[in-house]
Amino acid sequence: MIEQIPYIAIVLLAGIGIATILLKKNVIKMIMGLAIIEGSVNLFLVTLGYREGGIAPIFTDAPAGVMVLPTVQAMTVTNIVIGFATTALLLAFAMILYRYYGSVETNHIRRLRE
Amino acid sequence: MRRQISIIVVVLMVLMLGVIATGLSFGHPPDHPMDRYVIMNSQLESGANNVVAAVLFDYRGLDTLGEAVVLFTAALGTMLMFRKREEE
Repeated sequence: MIEQIPYIAIVLLAGIGIATILLKKNVIKMIMGLAIIEGSVNLFLVTLGYREGGIAPIFTDAPAGVMVLPTVQAMTVTNIVIGFATTALLLAFAMILYRYYGSVETNHIRRLRE
Repeated sequence: MRRQISIIVVVLMVLMLGVIATGLSFGHPPDHPMDRYVIMNSQLESGANNVVAAVLFDYRGLDTLGEAVVLFTAALGTMLMFRKREEE
């Protein structure tokens, strides 16, 4: 139990993100929740590849010893870039919503536009 | 009503993920042949000192191409959102 503390912290972070998406009514705050979930996924991938006493997988002036797993870190780089792009797209959608309805609260934008 | 259902969903999801998380081991990943191969051969095969860069651009270059396509699509969508409209 004591050695799974990083994973439990990641689960709590993802729970904060899910609660933000489900409980908040502001679209900008829901996008923030999605970004928090993305951050927890990145942390989970890096934590999964951590090896005890491992060094960064770079051979330049590397001391002897084991290296942490490199493939999950490459996946994390991919995930960061895609998360950035999708967050920008969602924020553009929120801007269009505000331009049409004058509000980003989901209570107000639920009705159809006349 | 909707708020109570949302809270129940959040609690159930955190419990489910927590049960999975307590079964994982931290600091001792299973010895994967792919990672071992990449660490052993990335300097010889791709000439890169940085193993993550070797994985990203040599071993999984096609994956990075797909990532670039996703990035391009998102940038195109954002650009379409910001274009000028004739009406209004």
